[in-house]
Amino acid sequence: MSTTTQEVKQVEKEPLFGKKERRLITDPLNDNNPITVQILGICSALAVTSLVYPSVVMAIAVIFVTAFSNLTTSLLRNYIPKSVRMIVQLIIIATLVTVVELMLKYFNYPIYKQLSVYIGLIITNCIVMGRLEAFAMANKPWRSFLDGIGNGLGYGLILIIVGVVREIFGKGTLFAGSPLEMKLIGNTSEFFINTTDSTLFGWYSNNNLMVLPAAAMFVIGIIIWIQRSRNTKLVDIS
Amino acid sequence: MEALNVFIKAAFIENLVLAYFLGMCSYLAVSKSVKTAFGLGLAVIFVLGITMPINWIINEYLLSEDGLIGMDLTFLRFILFIAVIASMVQLVEMVIEKASPSLYTSLGIFLPLITVNCAILGGSLFMVSRDYTFGNSVAFGLGGGFGWFLAIIAIAAIREKIRYSNVPPGLRGLGMAFILTGLMGMAFMSLMGIDPAALAAGVN
Amino acid sequence: MENNRYVIIFILVLTCTVAVLLTFIREATKDQAALNEDIFNKRSILSAIEVNLDKKVSEFSDEEVVNIFNDKFEQVVLDANGQVIEGVKAENIDMAKEKKKPEAERSLPLYIYRNGENVNYILSVRGNGLWDEIWGNIALGEDLNTVVGAAFDHKGETPGLGAEIKDNPTFSRNFQGKEILASDGDFVSILVKKGGAEPGNVHQVDGISGATITSNGVTDMLYNGIKSYQPYLETLRGKAQQGMLQQQ
Repeated sequence: MSTTTQEVKQVEKEPLFGKKERRLITDPLNDNNPITVQILGICSALAVTSLVYPSVVMAIAVIFVTAFSNLTTSLLRNYIPKSVRMIVQLIIIATLVTVVELMLKYFNYPIYKQLSVYIGLIITNCIVMGRLEAFAMANKPWRSFLDGIGNGLGYGLILIIVGVVREIFGKGTLFAGSPLEMKLIGNTSEFFINTTDSTLFGWYSNNNLMVLPAAAMFVIGIIIWIQRSRNTKLVDIS
Repeated sequence: MEALNVFIKAAFIENLVLAYFLGMCSYLAVSKSVKTAFGLGLAVIFVLGITMPINWIINEYLLSEDGLIGMDLTFLRFILFIAVIASMVQLVEMVIEKASPSLYTSLGIFLPLITVNCAILGGSLFMVSRDYTFGNSVAFGLGGGFGWFLAIIAIAAIREKIRYSNVPPGLRGLGMAFILTGLMGMAFMSLMGIDPAALAAGVN
Repeated sequence: MENNRYVIIFILVLTCTVAVLLTFIREATKDQAALNEDIFNKRSILSAIEVNLDKKVSEFSDEEVVNIFNDKFEQVVLDANGQVIEGVKAENIDMAKEKKKPEAERSLPLYIYRNGENVNYILSVRGNGLWDEIWGNIALGEDLNTVVGAAFDHKGETPGLGAEIKDNPTFSRNFQGKEILASDGDFVSILVKKGGAEPGNVHQVDGISGATITSNGVTDMLYNGIKSYQPYLETLRGKAQQGMLQQQ
């Protein structure tokens, strides 16, 4: 995280980016990762990660929604009637997701087509709702905003790792479908007729398993395994 | 007849959890014991079965261009769908609290989480993108719920047994659950080629 | 407990704000979104004749796509009997809606691409894959028989299996040079063959291994789809033949 540069600028206004605030962003990246530790927001993690490019777009969309829904809820937290708070939170989230959908249609129609229903499913991405309940309802707007960004980043991090693994082994490419598209490993002639990229391991033929949704489960399972072996305090006792 | 096809398809062949991986959060979090999984599964069947037709009516008569308002309001779909789902969940919560306080306490915070169960909203969104008729949307709701129910019972049973196995510490619990679900998903993929219509007609 | 009045007012105010906000954003983005969708569809038609274009479809800018359509395309809409419906543009035909109508009431969009000597006829077809709908555009050469190119898309086929009809360029490239008519002029369409096409057979292409149902879906879609264009194509072929006879 490059929070250090921002921190220098805001050193006078200490509470704006103090140690506590920085933790709000860095914690969800590892120790309190929404996917691997809090078990939140897994559906979309699986569905869109067969390629990196949609994963990145999805990650940005989720960061936007978590950050701004946290901010809005925190601003309204003293006015939201307890009895209907879930519905109020959902309305806020659904509005932001609709904004994301309209924006995608406006700026990048092909990727909107590709993500289709999964954009809508950000609403029911438990991370968003979970953070509203656990954090934004009880904290000040600025800190809630940071918490939203942090959790969005933690989620996006896993999404992109899974996407990279699946795309390289499943298709031998990276960023397929975007302007950055490149062929990394495997037989070049199979996909791009006149590619100039030199590729490694010409003998490699694509592993179809990695493209299937099930592969995402395996990859996340293994990420959890690695994370918990390094960080034994997270190990499940049950 | 067509509705039956949709039901079978939604429950087995296009299982919401195992083919689309929808509703994973509560699926992983509440599948530690068969008993709670059973309760949550029932609740999901109920909520899916009830929200799907309601959302169908809303989509057909309120949001579409030829509906009552006569304007293309489809951009409000997310908000209306989720509002219907949230109120239905609240209803289920009240019913369970009255009918079975023990189930209510064991489901704990996961009951409100049905609202944010992707399977529920995902079901409604699939229904729209697939242009189901009213009858089919009911069948899809019940079938999808039933499929979800089956999947969570199955994983809960496996997780109860696997507790006695010697799994590497880092993989215990959640990690193993992920890998198991992946394997179950692959197993369910073999149901994919089944054509319910041909099955019903007795043709192979 | 808060009183009910407050709750109701709160919800009402919130819903109204949200509705106004969203309507505003939608109105502001509507036109561009419609344009994007239009260009997206046009690109998929262009990709069927990619071999006859000077660069890859993805390298064209949006304006270039629109310009190609304005300058080099003729858009025709046909009814089920092969008669031209006047006053309708092919791009206004929604294939998804047409597919739901009974066959006799369907309208068929036909795009005719003219670039100098080169004439291509692009047919739109739509059918069912394994999970959901699949569709595609097939470009025929001047003889109304040889396939110049094809492009397919799908709503929800399995990635890595059925989705290969779109993701794997080899699949659509295999269609180039295939023929839809038997040597005696009867319509036979093109078969997507499980286990690989017979070498040299101009009516078969390789199927996708592991995706039999999607492959069969493409076969059926091509057969039914191209067949419905047959009446019009026949009249065109008839005209062409007469023209040749007169020249002789």
